[in-house]
Amino acid sequence: MPSPLDLADLPFLREALAEVVLLAVAGGLLSAWVVLRRLAFFTHATGSATFPGLVVADASGVSPLIAGVAVALGYAGGVERAGRAGREPSEATALLLVAALAGGVVLASDVFESGATVDRLLFGTLLGLQSADLALSAATVALVIAASLTLGRTWAAIAFDPDGATALGLPAARADFLLLALVAVAVVAAIPAVGALLVAAIYVLPAAAARLVARSIPALLALSLALALAEGLIGLYAAYWLDLPPGPPVAVLGALTYAVLALATGAREARLGAATA
Amino acid sequence: MTAAVTAEGLSAGYGGRPVLHDVSFAAAPGLTVCVLGPNGGGKTTLFRALMGELEPLAGRVALSDRPAYVAQTERTRLDFPVSAFDVALMGGLANGRWWLPPRRSDRTAARAALERVGLAAEGDTPFGELSGGQRQRALLARALVQDSAVLLLDEPLAGVDPASAQLIDAIFEQLREEGRTLLVSSHDVEGARGFDVVLCLNRRQVAFGPPAEALDRATIEATYGRELIVLEQPGAARAVTIQHHEHDHGKQ
Repeated sequence: MPSPLDLADLPFLREALAEVVLLAVAGGLLSAWVVLRRLAFFTHATGSATFPGLVVADASGVSPLIAGVAVALGYAGGVERAGRAGREPSEATALLLVAALAGGVVLASDVFESGATVDRLLFGTLLGLQSADLALSAATVALVIAASLTLGRTWAAIAFDPDGATALGLPAARADFLLLALVAVAVVAAIPAVGALLVAAIYVLPAAAARLVARSIPALLALSLALALAEGLIGLYAAYWLDLPPGPPVAVLGALTYAVLALATGAREARLGAATA
Repeated sequence: MTAAVTAEGLSAGYGGRPVLHDVSFAAAPGLTVCVLGPNGGGKTTLFRALMGELEPLAGRVALSDRPAYVAQTERTRLDFPVSAFDVALMGGLANGRWWLPPRRSDRTAARAALERVGLAAEGDTPFGELSGGQRQRALLARALVQDSAVLLLDEPLAGVDPASAQLIDAIFEQLREEGRTLLVSSHDVEGARGFDVVLCLNRRQVAFGPPAEALDRATIEATYGRELIVLEQPGAARAVTIQHHEHDHGKQ
């Protein structure tokens, strides 16, 4: 078992550590809004939708980050329009998700023959993170913090009661689109380290678990942030120890945390129910 | 005096298909309007059009102020991590500076509104743990903080305990005395007689006027169709409506 201090000592791990901390801060905060606004499936689907764009970029020498952001924003816009036109958003999301994932695999294996990259894009990597990846993650953190401070009350009011939010004169449609766009950018930032298929591990799972016990939105944000950091750091150490990309251990930890909290709160509620019955 | 709420030849609906036709009325400041009609009769659609959430398919609406809206409580999320105070505080967002944190005056207004609706002691209680009547009062507190001249309330008394209903009625009376205009949708034909005017909707406007004149047997039948039983009594027709839907009234 390697020393946890290696994370700070070995240069390639130091970069991975910085990336994981940045993504955990972004994910801890953003996942709270994702969960409150019920965008968990959208977030997962945005990762998959971005995948074919990354394959094409990787093969054609375009910056994968720029291509990824373009595809993810286009996808967010499409989902937003489909939802506004009254189509069932989860159906539209599922349809796009399957098409994008299958398209990406076809492109990667048959057109560009870049099989090695596919694994990396889908499940992330500990090695070879570039300074551009770190810069996008840092920019995402700045955007998420700024948006949480300025738009948080509006997002909460919309998620709580959409009709009431309109009556309050809130720019509900624009605030919603900004959240979708922010998720799109954040997803692209997470793909190098966490992988397109596992972005939900940092943008959904922390707040999904925190929500089981948080009784206020500030508490949800704080607990979600703490969970994201803990899962990120332990997951990174596990990845280094077990020679894995960091995405899978972070995702497994997030799911375990959720399960433990769900069982604990379920048991508590059952006990309270029995006591009052 | 100019009307606080006006609709002229209003048709409104979803996806280009109108579900409500030919609504024309004007409500002066300080008037309480009971909006009666069956489920699917267009009450909520009228409110959405008045809020500007639905573009009129024909005609127009005009309001003297952006209306405060109190949705049916079952439309709100019980699992949402907000307290009664947080809900009341959302009313402060209507000041137009939604990007700023709540100010001290917003907090004071939210506390005052909670006190007014009898929830001063429940400020810290999670919204989902309030009773149905308390939840309705927390939403009413949010509307009070919004401090609008026009309030739209969608079935605020449905599934509410008698004590809450009495409190809500008393607040309606205060709001009327403050010169605010209230549109309150309801299924309760008897309760409608306590309002200044009734607006009867059944996919179109059936009647608009003081309840003593408007609520005759023909109007009630045209409004509710087969959803009601009319009990003949000397002097007036008494209607009992049969509701075919299930409200999730939650904890009482």
